Amino acid sequence: MLGYISGRKVGIDDPLRLRRAESTRRLLSLELNHGRDVERIHGNGVNCLDIEAVEGRYMLSGGADGVIVIYDLENYSGKPQYTCKAVGTVGRSSRFAHKFSVETVQWYPFDTGMFISSSFDKTMKVWDTETLKPAERFMFDGNVYCHHMSPVARKHSLVAVGTKNPKLQLCDLKSGSRIHVLQGHRAEILSVRWSPRNEHILASASADSTVRIWDVRRASGSLFTLDQHNGDKSKAAAEAVNTAHNGRVNGLCFSGDGLYLITMGTDDRMRLWNSSNGENTLVNYGKVSNESRKGLKFTVSTGCSLDCVFVPCGSSVAVYGLHSGELVATLRGHYNNVDCCDFHPDYQELYTGGKDCNVLAWIPALRAPDVEEEREVRPPLRQLPLVSKPHPAPLAGGNAFHVWNAFHVWDAFHTWNAFNSSNKTQSVVVVFGGGKLMTLFLFIVEICIVYKSMSDLYHKLICSVISVVKTNA
Amino acid sequence: MELAQRDKLSELVEELTTSGQQQLNQEKIKEIKKICRLSKDYVDHVYDSVMAQLDKEHAEIRLSAFQIASELFSRSHQFRIRLVDNFQEFLELTVETDSDQPLPPPKEVAKKLKISAIKTIQSWQAQYGTAYKKLALGYHFMKQVKNVDFNDVQARTVAERSRENERQRRMERIYKDRVETAAKEMEESHQEIETTVTEMKSCLKLLLPDEFGLSDQTAPGPDSRTLGDTAPGGRGLASRQLSEEHRPGSSLTAEEAIGKEKNGGNNERRQEEDEKKCLDARMEEKPSLETFETVELEGREELSMKQEEKEVDRDEEETWMNDVSYEDVFIRNSGLISHSYTLNINVESDVQVKETDDNEAVVSTLIELHRLITTKHLPAVKSWVQVFTRSGPEQLQLLRSALLLKMSLESLLKKEKLLHIDYKTRIRKVTRATADVEEDDEEEDEDDFEEVPEKEGFEPHIPDHLREEYGLEPSASTSAAPSTQRALPKRPAPVVSPSTTARRLRRRLEEERDPTCAAATLHLLKGQMRPCTGPSPRVSEPPSPAVGSAPAGGDGAPDAPIVPFGLDLYYWGEKQPGAGKMIKSTSQHRFWVPSEVDEETENPELLAESSSRYISFPGTFTPVSHHCNALLGNGRLCPRQDRVKCPFHGVIVPRDARGRPSRAEDRAREEREERRHRESHPDWQDVELMQDIEAATGEDLGSKRLLGKGKGKGKGKYPNLSNLKKSANTSRSRLENKVFNKKSVRRVSEVMTKIDSRKHEKFSNQFNYALN
Repeated sequence: MLGYISGRKVGIDDPLRLRRAESTRRLLSLELNHGRDVERIHGNGVNCLDIEAVEGRYMLSGGADGVIVIYDLENYSGKPQYTCKAVGTVGRSSRFAHKFSVETVQWYPFDTGMFISSSFDKTMKVWDTETLKPAERFMFDGNVYCHHMSPVARKHSLVAVGTKNPKLQLCDLKSGSRIHVLQGHRAEILSVRWSPRNEHILASASADSTVRIWDVRRASGSLFTLDQHNGDKSKAAAEAVNTAHNGRVNGLCFSGDGLYLITMGTDDRMRLWNSSNGENTLVNYGKVSNESRKGLKFTVSTGCSLDCVFVPCGSSVAVYGLHSGELVATLRGHYNNVDCCDFHPDYQELYTGGKDCNVLAWIPALRAPDVEEEREVRPPLRQLPLVSKPHPAPLAGGNAFHVWNAFHVWDAFHTWNAFNSSNKTQSVVVVFGGGKLMTLFLFIVEICIVYKSMSDLYHKLICSVISVVKTNA
Repeated sequence: MELAQRDKLSELVEELTTSGQQQLNQEKIKEIKKICRLSKDYVDHVYDSVMAQLDKEHAEIRLSAFQIASELFSRSHQFRIRLVDNFQEFLELTVETDSDQPLPPPKEVAKKLKISAIKTIQSWQAQYGTAYKKLALGYHFMKQVKNVDFNDVQARTVAERSRENERQRRMERIYKDRVETAAKEMEESHQEIETTVTEMKSCLKLLLPDEFGLSDQTAPGPDSRTLGDTAPGGRGLASRQLSEEHRPGSSLTAEEAIGKEKNGGNNERRQEEDEKKCLDARMEEKPSLETFETVELEGREELSMKQEEKEVDRDEEETWMNDVSYEDVFIRNSGLISHSYTLNINVESDVQVKETDDNEAVVSTLIELHRLITTKHLPAVKSWVQVFTRSGPEQLQLLRSALLLKMSLESLLKKEKLLHIDYKTRIRKVTRATADVEEDDEEEDEDDFEEVPEKEGFEPHIPDHLREEYGLEPSASTSAAPSTQRALPKRPAPVVSPSTTARRLRRRLEEERDPTCAAATLHLLKGQMRPCTGPSPRVSEPPSPAVGSAPAGGDGAPDAPIVPFGLDLYYWGEKQPGAGKMIKSTSQHRFWVPSEVDEETENPELLAESSSRYISFPGTFTPVSHHCNALLGNGRLCPRQDRVKCPFHGVIVPRDARGRPSRAEDRAREEREERRHRESHPDWQDVELMQDIEAATGEDLGSKRLLGKGKGKGKGKYPNLSNLKKSANTSRSRLENKVFNKKSVRRVSEVMTKIDSRKHEKFSNQFNYALN
């Protein structure tokens, strides 16, 4: 860690490296932390989870009994013990609630004022977060297995919906109508995903064991179908179409950068595909138990040097290395089947929901203080977020600095302790600038600071600078 | 971590879990704890071995493993961490959270394991729930998803609970139905029972009139009246006896009357009290009967006590009576015999109603009624009471009336019992009467069942072997006439008053004069029979050669059978002409005549038939009347009734009451055998003891040989655990053992193949049999 910091200090390292190292460490140390609970609202299994991308603060969950809950993940209480409160609930008593199990929930990618849910009652609803009333309802012929909105689309606002009908539906939020169908699958569509890289690219997985990649601008047919044998005709049985799995394909996920596509099939296999050309990368994950007969919600970590896939496997969550294919860890905490999981990209936290009605938070373990430290150490409330994009929190005092990176480094704290021989200090590394023109400031902050919020933190930081180490690369 | 300690730990865990005990051995668990205190690694090791044991498919092992786990859970942080980390599996293995993995048998232990596990987890949650997140999660999971009610000691799941409810509802419905039918039944037969009760009452009244206290007119309830009839009833009898038998000095004097009055007064007072008690008792519905009985008994006892107090010897009494000269004046003056007069009345506590010709009809009605009550009404009423009590408080009214009925019936029965009517005598008399009077009718009845040669009128002589058939005792005496008298001395009350005998004699004379009466015929025949007493039965009996079943065929050869007449008898001792020859007629055909025809052929079968005869001597079955009587291990005698040889004790020999052979040579033989047995298995060679010694010393003393001979193989690896493979001893399993054992299966298959092959032989020329 210190090596990374110093490397960054002197500018020989890419700024991403430190971030990656730290987030990887966090990823590998995920554990069921008794400091963080999620309020028990669901009286039935939790089918889907979604954490919004704007602030990373709110989480949606859809239950098997049609209940939708919005949780606040941010801890402002000032205590390490925190229970994520439900800030909004569409309960069974609500007349707008879905009649049957909610299969998918998703935030509108650019604003928390809206979210979309689809259910086995053959409807998809667009909700207003403030009033918790549906603003729009789409009716379908069959059960809705999944829907997805492009996280990067600026030119369109299409929702891809997979139903029992083999035709993939495209709903336009602008007009509030189903504008398009994509034909090609022969059985129900269990999962759809937009590419996070290209706003027009869409992948769909179906029970006919095919995965098709679409360009929504080209309506005549899919771009290509994924082939598990990479065109090796000898292995493919006399099948006319290429198959991605030997059973139903019920899980689909793009990697964070959109370069890869991960699919899950009921043949207990997970496959990694190159999303640009549909090539099977032939990463061997071994047997990945897949008992779900609906869509399977699994997720991929982003921004780590070793990206991982989190796959619900029975009552545990298996963590596989994305490219290595090895089983990194197994997270056991649920008492019944796990149905869904979602990864918080900023805090490297994992949230999982299962049939035992629980939503569990898997928090990275804190770095343990060194053994020689004898004084009382106050643990931080939550590790600072590792953000790669401009943080929306405004800096107090109208500071013109653009904060690229801010994180709390526990090791640095110890180092600087030793360096400083001051017992009551705490260090925060704040990096100003980016790329070649990076400036690293190391603030030694008094320990009594209580972080109320990020903006609060920055304010305190600026106000109580004791010493500044300034390096120009 | 030392290897020895480690091994010791594994061993201890295994020993504890395979002990089969419900409780852990405290010393061993202490030892485990002691070792675990040394290091974390030991804890880990124990955890691993405990989990391995928990995974075994045996509820007893799991229970013990769970108990170890719960012991260590409260002690070791490391153990808690490990266990909570794998809490899902732990729950699956102990609380059966996964319905696909039910707890293994035996059922009882599994149930216990589940209950104790649920309790323990609750206490863990209370103690450590805040510190161990997964523990809390598991607790909530069980509580909310699995709906385990932690307060419910039964630890039932929802399904079990609903099943239980369902069962209860069904039972309720059944009970309701039963109550309804019972109520209806009761409504229907209430009247009948009432009539029966009234009839019985009046019968009893007739037998033992009111003035003797048997009445119930005065007492309103059905239960209070029975009290009255015990004490005064006894007195009633006494007076009756007095009046009937004319005992010396038994004329009712005034003193006696007074004494009686006094006594009666006492009795009445007590009776009142008792009535009150009874009424009290009746208030509490159920136990009233018992209280009633006890009260009654008490009353009786008290009475007899009082009588005893007053007791003076009868001799004394007589002396008083003899000494008239002194007392004459006194009696005249006061009516009392003496100032210090104490009267001793020997009152029998039991009433004895003798049945005479006068009350015969009443008694027979009584018997009928008794039978009716005991066989029909009382069971019905009892079942109603049962139904109503089970149905709960809503049927109180019905229950009350049913109880009243029951009480009245039972009291009636009791009263009737108190009368001590001699049923036996009566019954004998009745049968005798029918035997005498309706002999012919009976014959006719019997004709329906068995072919018997016709008889003319009354059969004066009944052969010994038929006596039983006629309902008579086998006796040497010939005539039926003395049978009237024979019955008399059989009565348990032999005091026959001269008046009754006289009356009976007179009655018989009358009957004899009446030509329609059987007695007349009897009288007539008696005269005829007298000269020829004891003729050979064959003479009197009509010859019946066809009836093979007549066993008393002849005096000389009682066992020789009577066979039908046949050709062989016809040609007895002669050569039979042409026996066994078959004559074939020559062919009638015109052209196709065989060259040579044997006109006569000898048929050996036919020959044998005409010259010989099968006579079978099957003998008759005589039931074995002796027992083996050898001394059994439990001190009793062997009750087996084999004819010759007992399979356990050998040839049956006469034995005395203690099971020893009564003949000396038998005794010697048995002793010899016993000695030989003892020599082969000496007493000191106790198998278990020998095994212990062998285990301790390592030397082979030959216990295996003894074991192998005696008990067969010892138990498997863990002798203390209950054997799961041992199938339950149900009728089904026994049948299965019988039907599916190798021998019988093989036998059946052999028979089947034989049948098949026979078919094959028979029809082998048909294609479908030829094929297989």
